[in-house]
Amino acid sequence: MTTTTTKVTENGAQLFARLEGRRSLRDIEAHIFPDGAGPLQGNVVEFHGIEGSGKTETLFHLVTRCILPADRGGLEVEVMYVDTDYHFDMLRLVTVLEPRLGEEAKEEEGVAAAESEERVRACLGRLSLVHCSSSVQLLLTLHYLENTFCCRPALCLLVIDSISAFYWVDRSGGGESLAKQEANLKKCSELLERLLRDYGVVVFATTHAIMRNYGQSGHADAAAMTPKQPESSSSFSSSWRNLSSSHASEFDKAYLSRAWQKIVTHRVLFSKGEVTQDKRQMFSAACTTTKTIGVKRSSFCVTEAGVRFL
Amino acid sequence: MVVLREGMCPGLSEELVGALRTADITTVEDLVSSDTEDLAQKCSVSYKALLAVRRVLLAQHTAFPVSGADLYEDLLSSTAILSTGSSRLDKLLDSGLYTGELTELAGGPGSGKTQVCFAVTVHISYQLKQSVIYIDTTGGMSASRLLQMLQVKMCKMEEQMEALQRIQVCRVFDIFSLLSCLHDLRCAGLQQMGGGSVKAVIVDSASAVISPILGGKQNEGMSLMMQLAGVLKTIAKDFNVAVLVTNSVTRDGNGHLKAGLGLSWSHVPRTRVILERLQDPGLTCSSLRTATLAKSSRQPCHLNEEFDLQGWGRNEDQLHKVAGKRKLENIHTS
Repeated sequence: MTTTTTKVTENGAQLFARLEGRRSLRDIEAHIFPDGAGPLQGNVVEFHGIEGSGKTETLFHLVTRCILPADRGGLEVEVMYVDTDYHFDMLRLVTVLEPRLGEEAKEEEGVAAAESEERVRACLGRLSLVHCSSSVQLLLTLHYLENTFCCRPALCLLVIDSISAFYWVDRSGGGESLAKQEANLKKCSELLERLLRDYGVVVFATTHAIMRNYGQSGHADAAAMTPKQPESSSSFSSSWRNLSSSHASEFDKAYLSRAWQKIVTHRVLFSKGEVTQDKRQMFSAACTTTKTIGVKRSSFCVTEAGVRFL
Repeated sequence: MVVLREGMCPGLSEELVGALRTADITTVEDLVSSDTEDLAQKCSVSYKALLAVRRVLLAQHTAFPVSGADLYEDLLSSTAILSTGSSRLDKLLDSGLYTGELTELAGGPGSGKTQVCFAVTVHISYQLKQSVIYIDTTGGMSASRLLQMLQVKMCKMEEQMEALQRIQVCRVFDIFSLLSCLHDLRCAGLQQMGGGSVKAVIVDSASAVISPILGGKQNEGMSLMMQLAGVLKTIAKDFNVAVLVTNSVTRDGNGHLKAGLGLSWSHVPRTRVILERLQDPGLTCSSLRTATLAKSSRQPCHLNEEFDLQGWGRNEDQLHKVAGKRKLENIHTS
């Protein structure tokens, strides 16, 4: 019954979106993701790290790669950016975007400033931005976006920065019951799961490291895993995500709803490295996935023109 | 949680709300998340009517996506960078406080947080002729100090009064009054009687109202803190004002200064500056402070500037020489 009604109301564009499938983002960034295990349609990548560990900057790097035209080395796909942290800095994104767009323009010299401005606009046209200020709004917005995913086959990437923004407010709002506390995030995760299955978008979401793993370091690593998974009786195994723990175990605690953790397929752990002699802050990312064994590590620094991998 | 009430939207009648309640659907989230067709059958209501109600409720409660190109256009025309009045601090902040953003000043007692707030307030109201809302949570606000700072600028009495009129002071001493104060300001559209649009909201200090509610195993304090963060960030964005808050500092394991209020708060500000008093026994002038950029999306972190609280906006070149020399010494000793 349901299927018949939906199919009747489906238009050509929607049918195309459903049948054609979206582009995968497998090759989005070889430095971060392990060989051949980049995010495919329906994958969820979680970016986890403390404040100032380069999460948002890395997102900008990846978003830039998505919205750049193909002749500038981009993927030329559309991106939906859900900003719950109010950290999205459009001016910064343009700063990152411009040099990558204009590399050849400089040689030509003749290219007018207006033309390059036009190209920036064309890229930004592939980006949609939405701000959410509560978990209810996030849930309802995701429901609303379903139609957008349906109509726009070029929309391949959904960014949620960050999915943990309403954690404390929800914790307190739900009273004593853990189920109530997590209700909205659970609903969001279930909805996302369906959207991923039906539309094949890729989700990048950041989570803030706001919990400290007390009693970490070396041998305590295994012990620290136990409180992390209070209901580990279920079949869901979390061993893959703990591979990267040795990297920055202190802030690795996964505290969000299990419904969310279940849909995550890639996890990238960010940490701040040392400061080099020329006062440059180094960052590192450790990626684990459900499909690969081991940890893919990469280190980068942030320059005026965005993330630079080393 | 948005509870379903009759009359919330056309078509949501009392019977419909009642019928939905029998199926355990009491909130908009429940209604939107459940399968409309199943629900229509379960409650024996019209599928079409329910679908229409769902669509209207969604439209009422969601945030709408904006195209990046439009947003960029808007930003270029609406973003203002408010100079702080000190060229050194401006340099650190990439020319000043950006509207639409939350900036944090963190520092220990006597590191000059309040004085910087005063100076910024005076500069915005006098030099830039814009209104400022100053929320004082410590009782440290002193009108005579503001006047004194204005008098240094040697302007006429009327101009001084005009500048003071553009500063609206709210005194609150706990998180609840702060939240309700911000709520009132937001409902009033951030307008104020002095004329001129409000360009900056200053909260001195955020830590004074937040730290008493934190601690223990309770979540309420964290929740209130994050609510405050949410309200400040939405005010910054919706009204396109610069929000400046002050915070205390603690030391991390290595003895370095870091901003207070814990990990969750650390994600909140977009730009963070840590203020420190210069610890130099040979130096008699105690109004010298250093400012270090601890978080920014525009400038490399760990940028470091020295400034003089007394000569805000004046004699900066002179200071520059001294500071330049001292910086060299610092590098040698460290």
